[in-house]
Amino acid sequence: MVYIHQAYCISPQKTFQDVDLELLHEPVDKKLYAIEPSYEGIPPGVLRRMGRAVRMGAGAGMPILKNSPVDGIIIGTGKGGMEDCIKFLNQIVQYEEGLLAPGNFVQSTSNAVAAQLGMMSRNKSYNSTHVHRGHAFENAVTDAIMQLRALPGKQFLLGGVDEISDFDYNIETLDGSYKKEVIAASDFYTSDTPGSLAGEGAAMFLVNDQQPGALAGISAVGMLHSEDPAAVTAAFQQFISTHIRGNQKIDLFLSGESGDNRTLKFYAACESILPADIPVARFKHMSGVYATASSFALWMACHILQHGRLPVHTLKTVVEVSSLKTILLYNNYKGLQHSFMLIQK
Amino acid sequence: MNMETAELKKQLKQQIVQFLNLTSVNPDDIKDDEPLFGEGLGLDSIDSIELIVLLSREYGIEIKDPKEGRKILVDINTMAAYVEQHRTK
Repeated sequence: MVYIHQAYCISPQKTFQDVDLELLHEPVDKKLYAIEPSYEGIPPGVLRRMGRAVRMGAGAGMPILKNSPVDGIIIGTGKGGMEDCIKFLNQIVQYEEGLLAPGNFVQSTSNAVAAQLGMMSRNKSYNSTHVHRGHAFENAVTDAIMQLRALPGKQFLLGGVDEISDFDYNIETLDGSYKKEVIAASDFYTSDTPGSLAGEGAAMFLVNDQQPGALAGISAVGMLHSEDPAAVTAAFQQFISTHIRGNQKIDLFLSGESGDNRTLKFYAACESILPADIPVARFKHMSGVYATASSFALWMACHILQHGRLPVHTLKTVVEVSSLKTILLYNNYKGLQHSFMLIQK
Repeated sequence: MNMETAELKKQLKQQIVQFLNLTSVNPDDIKDDEPLFGEGLGLDSIDSIELIVLLSREYGIEIKDPKEGRKILVDINTMAAYVEQHRTK
């Protein structure tokens, strides 16, 4: 079990300072942009050079690193600093492979977030970035689990971060990832149309193998590549039977349902094998869709377990939710990359 | 200071703020003799490369010797003087 002792999240909702999950922030131009804080503690000279992904990652990670020395930094990002990457590539074309400004390149690499966190905290230990698209964060979690098995007593900064970039949004709109019509957050799951809303954010966690004082623990993580709902259901069933033991009860199913009617079949298939009395909550109307949205879900699971309640707008069906101790998360990225996570108090 | 030099200095200040994303700096507040690095604007080594790229793109000036760059990128006065003498566009 990996225990989470601190959790910070910059997201399209009020998750960073004065957390308020009841107030739902609406998408703008079919995108759920993160509410960025003032980034106190990050020198202005450093901040001005950061792209959005690096800024959000550093902003969510530094409050942890400021007070807690870590033995490594492990980050998952599907696309890194895509906006700066495109700016840099455009420079190459515009200036015919001549003299190029280095700033965009430095910010564009996927490992810029972990590197920046390492430099700002003067941490020279293990520094790793996982870039497996929709499984990037899950691979970072797996890395943390393996590190803690190999190095008991150590602690790590674990995080997931991705940004909305205009160029990437346009490309993914062409491949049908996003909705053609404008929808309100309240219609997110009822539109019955293809595509979803783009999202972004950074969630950072202090993890170790010590239970006392922990907000929550990750007891298992599983991943699967498949386009077949039957294969996903079988893997989900296997995950449950392997990790939910004896009379252990799932108190909440946290679903990554994205409002895309093409991927609904996966969520329906997973829900169908769970007992009907397990409440189902959803989070993508809050985070939007991005490769590491499961890191937002993990932050939300920690928040739910810590406070023992969840916002009504997250519940798929209005039910009385009591005794929240075990949350089962299922997430799906683009109908291909599936992940399961068991989070417990 | 003639009108052309004054206009060039004003333009350089605007370009530096824009190029280096100095969002909290008003170009008009940069003094002509204010050091660009260390004290003053507080720029660093990555900024010096960005400024060399700026001079190349905007004025067609190629600076290949880092020692030469250090003499040019002292303040707005030294930058403007060098641009006036060496610009190719």
